[in-house]
Amino acid sequence: MTRALLLAVALSIALPAVAADKGDAEAGKLKVYTCAGCHGIPGWKNPYPNYHVPKIGGQNYDYLIAALTEYKKGERSHPTMRAQGESLSEQDMRDIATYLSSITP
Amino acid sequence: MKHLTTPIVLALLLVSGMASAKGDAEAGKTKAAPCAACHGPDGNAGIDPQYPRLAGQYRDYIVQALHEYKKGDRKNPIMAGFAATLSDADIDDLAVYYSTLPGGKLTDLHGHIEGEAK
Repeated sequence: MTRALLLAVALSIALPAVAADKGDAEAGKLKVYTCAGCHGIPGWKNPYPNYHVPKIGGQNYDYLIAALTEYKKGERSHPTMRAQGESLSEQDMRDIATYLSSITP
Repeated sequence: MKHLTTPIVLALLLVSGMASAKGDAEAGKTKAAPCAACHGPDGNAGIDPQYPRLAGQYRDYIVQALHEYKKGDRKNPIMAGFAATLSDADIDDLAVYYSTLPGGKLTDLHGHIEGEAK
C-alpha cells in the first residue's frame, strides 16, 4: 500500500514535469507565422545554395528543438535561420516545436 | 565525322551527369540500411524523436544536409561519422530514396498557419 502510494506521488511529480517540457501548441500556431514565409510555400527554394527549404510540418519535436537551438548558438550556418533562432526564447522554441510536430499531412 | 562525334559525346556526358545528379532510389534503398537504425525502416523516425523524419523530405535538402555533415558545416557526431563514408553518388542515391519513400509524415506549412487564407 505504501509502495503504491509512493508510486502515485512519484508519478504525480514526474508527469507534470514531462508535460511542462513541451510547449503550447496554440501559442506555437501563432508563432510559426514568420516561418510560413519560406516553409509555407510548397516548393519554395533557398536562393543560394539553391535547394528546397525543408518540410518541417510533422517533424519530430526533439529534432526541431535541436535544430533551432543550433541556429541560435550559431552552430548551423544558414543566415536567415540563424537570425530567426536568435530571436526565439526557449519557450518560443518549445511552443513552435510542439505545434509543428503535431501537424499531419 | 569528327565534327559529329563531339556534340554526341557532350550530349552523352550531359545526360549521364544529370542521371547521377538525381540518384538511384534502388541503390539508395540498399545504402540506407545503416540509416534505418535511427531514422526508422520507413524513414519516419518513430523510434526516438531526437532523430528527424526523412520520408518525403525534399531531395535537394537531404543532399544539402549530407554534404554539410560531410564538410563539418553541420556538427553532429553521429552524422559526421556516417557522412564521412559517403561519396557524392551515395548522397544522391540516399536522397532520392528518402524523398520518394511513401507514407511520409512531413508537410510544408501551407494551410497550417493561423489567419492564413485557405
